[in-house]
Amino acid sequence: MHYPWWHVPFLTSPMLIGIVSLLHVIVSHYAVGGGLFLAVETGYAYRTRNAGYLAYLKDHAWFFILVTVVYGAITGVGIWWTIGLASPLATETLIHTFVFGWGMEYVFFVLEIVSAFIFYYYWGRLAPQTHTRIGWIYAISAWISLVLITGITAFMLNTGAWPQNRDFWVGFLNPQFVPQVLARTGGAFLLASLYVYLHATFKVKEVGLRNLIESRSARPALAGAILVVLGGLGWYLFLPESARAALVAASALNVLMVLIFAVTAAVFVMLYLGPYRNPGWLSPGFAILFFGLGLAAITTGEFVREAVRKPYIVYNVVMSNQILPEEIPALRKSGYLEGGTWTKALVAAQYPQVMNGDEIEEARLLALPEADQVRLGQVLFQYHCNDCHAAEVGYSAVAQMIRGWTPDMIRALVQQPERVNFFMPPWAGTPEEAELLTKYLAAIAPPHPAGMYYGNQR
Amino acid sequence: MDPTDLIGPTSPLGYPAPYWFIVFFKTLGFALHTLPMNLWYAGLILAVVLHVLGGEHARRWAARLLNQMPIIIALGVNLGIVPLLFTQVAYYRVFYPATILMAWPWFSIFGLLTLAYYGVYIYVTALRRERLSFLRRVVGWVAALVFIAIGFLFANNFSLMTHLEAWPGLWQGTNAAGAVTGGALNTGDPTLWPRWLMMFGLALTTTAAYTVVDAAFFAGRESEAYRHWAPGFALKLYTLGLIWFALSGTWYVFGTWRPEVRALMLGGPLVILTALTALAPGLPWLLILAQRQGVTRRLALFTGLAQFGVLALNAISRQIVQNAELSRFLDVTAEPVNLQLSPLVVFLALFVIGLGIVAWMVRQVVIAERQPA
Repeated sequence: MHYPWWHVPFLTSPMLIGIVSLLHVIVSHYAVGGGLFLAVETGYAYRTRNAGYLAYLKDHAWFFILVTVVYGAITGVGIWWTIGLASPLATETLIHTFVFGWGMEYVFFVLEIVSAFIFYYYWGRLAPQTHTRIGWIYAISAWISLVLITGITAFMLNTGAWPQNRDFWVGFLNPQFVPQVLARTGGAFLLASLYVYLHATFKVKEVGLRNLIESRSARPALAGAILVVLGGLGWYLFLPESARAALVAASALNVLMVLIFAVTAAVFVMLYLGPYRNPGWLSPGFAILFFGLGLAAITTGEFVREAVRKPYIVYNVVMSNQILPEEIPALRKSGYLEGGTWTKALVAAQYPQVMNGDEIEEARLLALPEADQVRLGQVLFQYHCNDCHAAEVGYSAVAQMIRGWTPDMIRALVQQPERVNFFMPPWAGTPEEAELLTKYLAAIAPPHPAGMYYGNQR
Repeated sequence: MDPTDLIGPTSPLGYPAPYWFIVFFKTLGFALHTLPMNLWYAGLILAVVLHVLGGEHARRWAARLLNQMPIIIALGVNLGIVPLLFTQVAYYRVFYPATILMAWPWFSIFGLLTLAYYGVYIYVTALRRERLSFLRRVVGWVAALVFIAIGFLFANNFSLMTHLEAWPGLWQGTNAAGAVTGGALNTGDPTLWPRWLMMFGLALTTTAAYTVVDAAFFAGRESEAYRHWAPGFALKLYTLGLIWFALSGTWYVFGTWRPEVRALMLGGPLVILTALTALAPGLPWLLILAQRQGVTRRLALFTGLAQFGVLALNAISRQIVQNAELSRFLDVTAEPVNLQLSPLVVFLALFVIGLGIVAWMVRQVVIAERQPA
């Protein structure tokens, strides 16, 4: 509302955030867990003077750099790019609240980059102790980066007491902070081991070395799976009531939650029976299956974490349709079109007849020709609803949801969406504007599917 | 439509630090980012061309720069985060609308960057393994061109941030029921082209200055002939960059600045800054000239520092011009401040500790470099 809305056909622009985020998390967790793997195992290989293992670790470090420093780092920047485009008000709010949190993360990010390159490019040229220390600098920096960014992303789900006092630390150390740090740390351990298995089963031919790699990585993976479950339970316990209700109410989320626990349990059992008890079992096919299951669990978890926030982007701070909750009463009085920077400019430029001086005269909106009313209804849809709904076809397309509805049914939904579905934001416009939106939705709603038999005359 | 009507309200949260602090880190971050960014912006295309068409030493120069390129890119991308972060704190009211108006080109940057970055890795890995096929060379050339295209997109965005006059037209030309479809570019802005070209000229000078620094500090294992050749090449390259920078800068200042901006930057006390920004590249040029018969570590260090001074002056001048351009529409210095003192202190403390750890790691590298191979 403060900013222009970016219309992405079919998907809706916020879905791009989800896509880029999923592309990022499958590597960012490895960037943390993999760093710890390299630090611990390089130290172990030096202590045991295992030249074969050291050679493998150097090979893995190159793979690690190619995946994390390039893809991981750039997709991380890609999230920044996308949130600013698709969710500018929430980004504005977060950056004004946590710029120093991001600044701190940046410091550790610099340490990660420098230490990762030195760790790899000076392999064999640094004293073992120094080399291992550099590995630990990477590992610790990467984990602190995880902690710092988790404080901010967890804040979005449960802002705790921040809305009352707006203190940085209160927001950062929010109720979701510890559970999400636990879950993400566990995810990092688990995913790193799965990456190692995938890499090692393809690259290492010597059975003894392969078994060593498998068994050494099994314990962190098992511990990771336990941390994921513990963190997940904490996450559930510290969800705001609305998020917990959304989790129960949305059937898609029910299915996904079952999927997460089923996949995590399957991975745990497979880890225990495979790499932990019988390292020789692990084949490339087994590793691919493992990896696929790990990615499924991580990406599903991220999707659920995002989805339960509705109707907020930042709980009780920014609504999912780019409005601050405290703006709603005024918008209901003066009008959404009037309150929106870009919507008001559009109305003033294209419908000067509805302007009364510098303000939109709400009553005049309904005096416009029918086609213009529908068009303004579409403008309202773009700015008020397109965050979560495509129009006629695509992601959560509203036309498909109101197929066959009468105008009265649509009007009732438009006037009180939060009563129909508590995870929708409330209507933030005048009754006249609700009428415009109703007319637009009625115009795009397809008829009730023909040929359905309800026991009446055929 | 008055473009001022398209500027949203101020954030109720206020700035988390005084404006001077935000703009200091924004400008410092941009100057630091420009150093490595210049090397991939002009250096990469030059390297892939000279790697094919150059003589013996030019090919060696290209191979050296290409080998270092993955690290240069990683550092440059990383250092770019800081100015972007602080831009969003103080300039959010114009930054977000400008990016949204050109949403698809802006969004494409991270995809293009990924492709270009992996392209560089493909080229460099093949170079190290001496398996540089025609196809892999093409990948390298494409990567170099993509980096230049990314620069063009950045120039579009940052010029659109201050070119608010263009917003209504771009919006009305690319919208679906008032929502932006995101396909616009700021190509109608007369400042766009000279800004983009000016940065390329500056990038040529940075590449030249780095050639001297590299020859003095990192090329110990190269032949004496190469180290003798490098400063001569750097001098030619710097001269070319200097001419390029002067021509495009003249176009930018005298051909595109509005009279108020020209009066501000060319009159009053700021004329000193403008003159320094224009003349500063002369110092590294003279330092390179002094080394044309052979580099010395001391002079090479001064060359590097002087070039950073050139970039820093450029960044400061750009910042002042940006504020002057925006002053017609909003005053970014006038927002309320809600100081976040303890997070700020923790950030600064971590910044200093982080620099210390980086210094320790670099020291380990220097010790390792001194060991016999």
